[in-house]
Amino acid sequence: MKTNKVLTALGISSLVLLAGCANTSSESGEANDELVVYSSRNEQFVADLLDKFESDTGISVSALHGVEPLQLMEERNNVQADVFISNDIGALEYLNNEELLKSTDSDNVESIEEQYRAENNEWIALSSRARGFIYNKDLIDEEDVPTRMEDLMDDTYSSVENGFAITRGGNGGMISNVSALRHEWGDERTKDWVEAIQENAAGIFEGHGDIRRAVGEGIHAFGLVNNYYYHQQLLEPENNNVGFVYPDQADGEMGAIVNAAGVGLLNDSPNEGAAETFLNWLLEEENQLAFVGESLEVPINTELDPPFEQAVNLSELTVQDMPLRELGNYFEDTRSLIEDAGLDLNLR
Amino acid sequence: MRLCDIKIQNKVSGLDTLKKQSRKIWNGNIPSPSLLTVAVLIAILMTLPLIYVVYQSFLAGTASWMRLISNRIPQLLWNTLSLSISVTILSSSIGVVLAWIVNRTDLPGRKIWKGLLALPVVIPPYIGAVTYIIVFGPRGWVFQLINRTATQVRELPFTIYSFAGVVLVMTLFTYPYVFLITGSAMRKTSSAYEEVSRSLGHNGFTTFFKVILPLLVPSIGASSILVFLYVLSDFGAVSMLRYVTFTSAIYFQRAGFDIPSAAVLSLVLIAITLVVLFIEKLVKKKKVYHQSKGMVKEPKTISLNRFKLPALLFVLFIFTISVLLPVSVLIYWTVMGLNSGLGLYNNAFLGYTLNSFRVAGSAAIISILLSVPVIYLYARHRSIVSSVIYKLTYTGYALPGVIIALGLVFLFNNHIPVLYSTVTLVVLAQVIRFMPQVLQAGESAISLVSPRMEESARSLGQSTWKVLLTITLPSMLPGLLAGGALVFVSALKELPATLMLRPPGFDTLAVRVYYQASEALYIQAAPGALLIILISLLPLHYLLKNY
Repeated sequence: MKTNKVLTALGISSLVLLAGCANTSSESGEANDELVVYSSRNEQFVADLLDKFESDTGISVSALHGVEPLQLMEERNNVQADVFISNDIGALEYLNNEELLKSTDSDNVESIEEQYRAENNEWIALSSRARGFIYNKDLIDEEDVPTRMEDLMDDTYSSVENGFAITRGGNGGMISNVSALRHEWGDERTKDWVEAIQENAAGIFEGHGDIRRAVGEGIHAFGLVNNYYYHQQLLEPENNNVGFVYPDQADGEMGAIVNAAGVGLLNDSPNEGAAETFLNWLLEEENQLAFVGESLEVPINTELDPPFEQAVNLSELTVQDMPLRELGNYFEDTRSLIEDAGLDLNLR
Repeated sequence: MRLCDIKIQNKVSGLDTLKKQSRKIWNGNIPSPSLLTVAVLIAILMTLPLIYVVYQSFLAGTASWMRLISNRIPQLLWNTLSLSISVTILSSSIGVVLAWIVNRTDLPGRKIWKGLLALPVVIPPYIGAVTYIIVFGPRGWVFQLINRTATQVRELPFTIYSFAGVVLVMTLFTYPYVFLITGSAMRKTSSAYEEVSRSLGHNGFTTFFKVILPLLVPSIGASSILVFLYVLSDFGAVSMLRYVTFTSAIYFQRAGFDIPSAAVLSLVLIAITLVVLFIEKLVKKKKVYHQSKGMVKEPKTISLNRFKLPALLFVLFIFTISVLLPVSVLIYWTVMGLNSGLGLYNNAFLGYTLNSFRVAGSAAIISILLSVPVIYLYARHRSIVSSVIYKLTYTGYALPGVIIALGLVFLFNNHIPVLYSTVTLVVLAQVIRFMPQVLQAGESAISLVSPRMEESARSLGQSTWKVLLTITLPSMLPGLLAGGALVFVSALKELPATLMLRPPGFDTLAVRVYYQASEALYIQAAPGALLIILISLLPLHYLLKNY
């Protein structure tokens, strides 16, 4: 029986050990010398910004990249993140409607136009992007690239040499694209569109970076992306013979679908002080530019020069007539519409 | 008064029957209640994620179910089963043929080939997939090579992002299971049957199909099931090659935090796994043909004669595409990285490595500690209860990592928020998944020591403590350590559960390799991948010896 006791002790101690190695990394209390950032943007666009924040302020940042907004919903009773950086205003406004984000009052907040902020600055947009078609000039002439979103429903584009590429429907950019179409067309037609592009696309990728690379390399003739992916591909040392078409620009057409990337602070987060420091720091003009960083988007703050000089400014485009906030009301149903069409999981 | 007396008497006799019953169950060898409690707790811990996922799937509601059944589940079933079955058939065929050539013929250098052909077992399929994308991808090395010659082509005639591509990659990195297990069965099978067949005038070909193959059915069955379960559970390779199975669908659903859908899909995957395990049981029930004592003599080698060259070329070909090619690609990119002056071997890389070691090391140590009580109970207090406990602790081993992780996410986020999003949870997932490797090794070690030895030591006046420390544990130790090494390596390579459970800012080598490879940053991905493979080589010797 003594053997048993020894073994019991062994077992209990290892169970305790397992529980014990827990709190080595988290739970630092109210010191506010650390910050937890969730980001739905590509890690490459955010990492430098967060490094700069660390060295400017001495606050250490733990980041989780590729987070989808519903993770924040799921964690609402057990809030982990202080800051959410999103590449979709729809997601931010949705979280705001669910009362997950808190109102803020930062020093330089007026540098951002009101239409690019939530009512009480629960979220603040910092960089803008428009949807459009990146194309490979070796494979397709500009006039053969679609000029309207609805053109993608046309079967003829499925037979273009090397075909076209889209992202899977789980992608944040695609979700807001579909939301914008629902606002414009209603659900029936949008559903047809989602089903048709899924049918017609030659490539369905995990992310937009894959599309720009594939189009640059000539694997596909064109692809549906945000404009800054075109900027990125132009700066590649090779495979950069690409062009870009902003769709729906003619009179009477809906205009380009626009979205923005931005930031929100979470209610009841573990390091609220550090989060406010972060927001104040981020709104300094230098850091607004760092937020754009390698993504090569266009800063919302019109005082700032875009890091990519040739970038087309939003004011030069015909833009869809819809307040960005509106995207938040479509967010949830758009996800189920995409899921019903099966596009959320399709990869090819 | 009287009433009370009767009650007490009743109670006593009730207790008596209970005691009798329990003595009967335990064959008169009852473990202390505390040992039993700890073992039960461990078994619960190991099965909890599964139970919670099943529970969640029933909460999902009919709407979720109907939606998934009408469109998603049929498609995923087809994707998943067609892939698993194709890979299983192909890798069993390759594995058996290679095992036969290496173990039974006069192939030149067969001793060396025996080791070399097992090597793909240390290359995680997701790393293999990366190297195949680098070489055979739409703009990979092959494409560049073709375009460097005079002919300009815009499109390769094949694409790696296809069903065939996934089957190829998965086969190349899973066949060693079949190769190792059937190879060992071949060595243990008496060659007498073959000799009889040959003496009756059958040629090598007929002998192989009519005599050798039927004898190998149990080992082929067991190893194919391992392959099948592996394909079911794989996330990394499948998603890199843009193929969607149940496992990757569950991963994406949970990434979007569509919890009900993820739970429903998990339930279907669990059901498939159970069916496979049931089939395994049927296969195992069949007779085992090998003979381990007495007449076994070193099987005669069959002369390949004019097939010697084709056989050698085949072996060489498989070795080239499953080991040489992936490893060379990784070495190439690693050297490129060293020369690039990008300073890739910096603190960040060191940090990922340390994190990997921290998780893998903790998982190994905890697995060893937790398995001791379970093994001891199972080996020294045999009963239906201890076998059930023992078998329950195997739950995580059979199930895909995404399901374990999903269960832990639900459970801890909702009920144990303190531990949610901590490294502990990552370690716990690895323990649940891989601890059975220690159980296996430790159990076979303790079964070699007769309990009589312990009893006689005790009867000679040695204290229980001393017996445990000087006889029982030392006899188990080699097995425990070997099992621990396997846990270490498995945890080091593990991808989906780590991706799903890691706290913000916590990256491991495997996670980095996966991220960088999916962003086509091969220079960055290669060193980590190479390191994972090198470390996985360490316990290979034990693995080879055991099979």
